[in-house]
Amino acid sequence: MTLELAVRLAEILLGFALFQQSLEFLRGHGLEQKLALIRAPLAILLMLGIYPLWVESALLVTFLLLIKRFHGPYNGGSDTMSMLVLLCLWLANLAPSRMWQEIALGYLALQLTLSYFQSGLVKIENLEWRSGKALREVFAFTAYPVSESLRNLAAKPGLLVFASRAVIIGELLFPLALLHSVTLVVALLTTGIFHVANAVLFGLNRFVWSWLAAYPSLIWLQYRFSEMAG
Amino acid sequence: MLARLREQVQVAAKVAEAGNNFIRGYIFFCLPRGNLLHMNAPQLIKLLLPILFPSWRFFSSIGPSPRIDVGFIAEAGGAPESWIPFRPIPSKIMFTQQIIRLFHNPQWNELLYMNSCAERLFEGGDVFYREEIAQRLLKSIELGEIVSPANARFMQFRIRAIYSEDTDANKMGQVKDELFLQSQAYVLVNAGVKP
Repeated sequence: MTLELAVRLAEILLGFALFQQSLEFLRGHGLEQKLALIRAPLAILLMLGIYPLWVESALLVTFLLLIKRFHGPYNGGSDTMSMLVLLCLWLANLAPSRMWQEIALGYLALQLTLSYFQSGLVKIENLEWRSGKALREVFAFTAYPVSESLRNLAAKPGLLVFASRAVIIGELLFPLALLHSVTLVVALLTTGIFHVANAVLFGLNRFVWSWLAAYPSLIWLQYRFSEMAG
Repeated sequence: MLARLREQVQVAAKVAEAGNNFIRGYIFFCLPRGNLLHMNAPQLIKLLLPILFPSWRFFSSIGPSPRIDVGFIAEAGGAPESWIPFRPIPSKIMFTQQIIRLFHNPQWNELLYMNSCAERLFEGGDVFYREEIAQRLLKSIELGEIVSPANARFMQFRIRAIYSEDTDANKMGQVKDELFLQSQAYVLVNAGVKP
C-alpha cells in the first residue's frame, strides 16, 4: 500500500468516525451540538477528500474546543485515537517532504501498536487480570455491561479466565503484525472482532470506528518494512 | 468546452494550493506563539500532550463504579421521598438494537461521560464535574426522559460507589454499595420557583 493510498483510506475511515460522533452530538445540547453542526459537513468533506488540509485544520480546531469544553476527552480513548489519527493525517498533508510524511504516518502506526501492547502489558503485570478476577468484576458491578443478562457472565469464572488470558496474549502479540502480511491480516481481523465485541458487551461503539481509521497506517508501515527487507 | 473546463479546474487547483499555503503559513505563525483559539502556549501544550503521547492503560485496575440516581422535591428544604436510577440498563438487548447501537448510541455515550465525571469526583475533581452531571439530568427531565411528579419543583441527585471489598487477588470480595455524594437541590426548568 502506498503512503498516498493509506492517507486517503485513513481520511475516509476517520471521516466516517467523526460523522458518526457528530450525529451522536447532534442529540446533545449546547456547544457540543453547535460544533456537531460544523463537524458533520467537515467529516463528509474529509471522506470525499476535498481540500483535506483545510478540512483537517478546521476539525483540529473543533477538537481543541471540545477538549476545552469537557476538560479532557468526552469519550476517553476513542476521542484520543480520533484526534491522534487526525493530527497525524494533518501533519502528513502539511509535511514539506516525503520523509516527514512517512514520520507522521509511521508515528500513528506506532501508537496503534502501542495501544494494544501497552494495554496488554499492564494487564499481564496485574494478578487480578491474569486470574480473571478483574473481568469478573467488570461484569459483576461496573457500569459497562449494556444489559442485565450480561451480568450473568460474572458467574462463569472459567470462561472469564480464558477470555482474560486471550485478551492479554492477543494484545501482547499485536506487534507481530509488523513482521509479515499474514500476521498483519490475522492481527487486524482479531482486533477488529475484539472492538466489535467491546461495542456489543460494553457499548464502546466509538472505539470501533476510531481504531479502524488508524489501521491503514499499520498496513502501509508493514508494506514499507517488507519493501525495505525485500 | 473541454478546454474551458480544463482551465476552470486549473484555476480551482491554484486557489486550493494558495489556500493550503495560507493555512501552512498561519499554522507555522500561530503555533510557536501558542495563540491559536486564544489559548496561551502552556494551555495548548497541556491539552495536546496527552494526545500526542497517549497512555493506553485501558482497564489497568477495576476501581469503584458510579451509579447516578435522581430524586424530586416539592418544597424548598425538603428531601426526596424516593430515588430513581438514571438510565438503568435493560434486561436484554436484541440483535437488531445491537447493530443500530454500533452506529448510533448517543444516550449510552452520554452516560459513559457522566460516569467518567463521577469518577473524577471520586478522585477529588472540582465542581465542574458535578455541574456537568446536574445539567445533563435537568435536560433529561426537561425532555421528558425522566418523568417528574406533578408537584415536583426541585431535583436532587446522588452518586453511589459500587465496589468489591479487598480480598485475595484471584477472588472477588463482597460487593459494596455506598453513598458517595448527595447534591444540592436544583430548580427544575419551568418549575416557576425563584432559586
